[in-house]
Amino acid sequence: MLQKPRSRGRPSALSQVDRDWARSEDTSRDGATAEEEVPSTSSGPGTSLLSGRRSLTAPAVGPRTQKQLELKVAELVQFLLIKDQKKIPIKRADIVKHVIGDYKDVFPDLLKLAAERLQYVFGYKLVELEPKSNTYILINALEPVEEDAEVRGDQGTPTTGLLMIVLGLIFMKGNTITETEVWDFLRRLGVYPTKKHLIFGDPKKLITEDFVRQRYLEYRRIPHTDPVDYELQWGPRTHLETSKMKVLKFVAKVHNQDPKDWPAQYCEALAEEESRARPPPPPPPPAAAAAAEV
Amino acid sequence: MQGTTRRTGVMTDVHRRFLQLLMTHGVLEEWDVKRLQKHCYQVHDRSATVEKLEDFIHTINSVLGSLYIEIKKGVTEDDGRPIYALVNLATTPISKMATDFAENELDLFRKALELIIDSETGFASSTNILNLVDQLKGKKMRKKEAEQVLQKFVQNKWLIEKEGEFTLHGRAILEMEQHIREVHPDAVKTCSICHGLLVQGQSCETCGIRMHLPCVAKYFQSNPEPRCPHCNDYWPHEIPEVFDPEKDREAGGSRSNRRSLRARQH
Repeated sequence: MLQKPRSRGRPSALSQVDRDWARSEDTSRDGATAEEEVPSTSSGPGTSLLSGRRSLTAPAVGPRTQKQLELKVAELVQFLLIKDQKKIPIKRADIVKHVIGDYKDVFPDLLKLAAERLQYVFGYKLVELEPKSNTYILINALEPVEEDAEVRGDQGTPTTGLLMIVLGLIFMKGNTITETEVWDFLRRLGVYPTKKHLIFGDPKKLITEDFVRQRYLEYRRIPHTDPVDYELQWGPRTHLETSKMKVLKFVAKVHNQDPKDWPAQYCEALAEEESRARPPPPPPPPAAAAAAEV
Repeated sequence: MQGTTRRTGVMTDVHRRFLQLLMTHGVLEEWDVKRLQKHCYQVHDRSATVEKLEDFIHTINSVLGSLYIEIKKGVTEDDGRPIYALVNLATTPISKMATDFAENELDLFRKALELIIDSETGFASSTNILNLVDQLKGKKMRKKEAEQVLQKFVQNKWLIEKEGEFTLHGRAILEMEQHIREVHPDAVKTCSICHGLLVQGQSCETCGIRMHLPCVAKYFQSNPEPRCPHCNDYWPHEIPEVFDPEKDREAGGSRSNRRSLRARQH
């Protein structure tokens, strides 16, 4: 998950910022009104457009005010929200370059505060894609609901349907599938690697490039295959955003059946649910292991 | 802005879902905002009474304050529809555009904005904007391409097009008002009634004061002899109707449905 702050005990206005957010404090912001110059703590390119004016920057040394830190966290939250819109995982290096700048020494604290705000205010969890990867994504703490689609402004993504089908395929086939098998299946639905699709556009690009870049899928060459074939598996974002049980339910719904109609997959999905709910159970006694088949 | 000493509100999942979905729109009309609010209550708290929109938004804004964001309410300049947008109060406002557009496209917007603000009518002609294509920062852009980019601005609700001329969409005014005032302090026009930034409006031909169309509508409502509030001369323009949300719904609802007597925009 998130890094723990590296240094404690340093006097910092950050703890004050944190405390203030825990209680009501409309009054402390009275100073930040339209009469002031538009505050900004970043001086990097790409953060300002219309302004040719100098923006308020943090002094390179010296204590930072509570307000400057608060502003920094606000910028960080905005940055993360905007970046995640594109569904590209956010690299820590980018965060430091575009937002943090001089505040590198308090980066972990800023990130922690930003994550708290994202969760409390927006219902998004800031999560590291894989341990030690230094890349982050936002996952929704709120369950998406079918009726959301009617009130959204961005049509969600029509490509989600295709993604769900591929994720379902992969899981039902034992968590890995070859690209050949994928197209064999999709052809039956009228989706071809070489033909432009009315809804999905370029399905081949979607599956082998876009979904991979967004970390929904892993796409690896299978060595010694001729013609070359690739294997597809769930990517780290899929593991974070959904679950085997959810995907199984989707597949079941499509077939108008019950998830239990696929006992092997159902057990696997159930096991994943349980391991997520609590730490892994102790290894089973030998007798039980012998009886287990799945 | 915030002058109350009320406690910051408490966010619930109703508010969060509302905020998440609101963010998928650049700008949203009031009726759709109410529909969105209702939907969020349906999902999370079916039995609760739907709070008055103003209070609901105030709760959310009290929490957004520390993030320098705000759900801002405005009014479209041409027909007085209430609109809402999530607005950035701290970093320079065009950061939201910066993710969707390239450097030369943003510069084109900047140039168009300047022409619009400087103009007498609040509109800049397509020709005048396109003539500035050579002065753009970044990658060289041809006029044909610039035409497409202008359409992109219209689709994304930053500009409105009317008969080959462009003006600012209510969204752009909501998001950029403060910034426009700072960057173009001399060219900026203000409404004599509401004192807000004025791009489109009516002006008195004698003394030159300006008023937004919806402000004109309200000020002169059922006044048989409209006179300039400043110099008392007869007000020479047609007085528009005050926006009535009920009548509007009956007439076929949102902008996209209505037959427009004027050129298409929004």
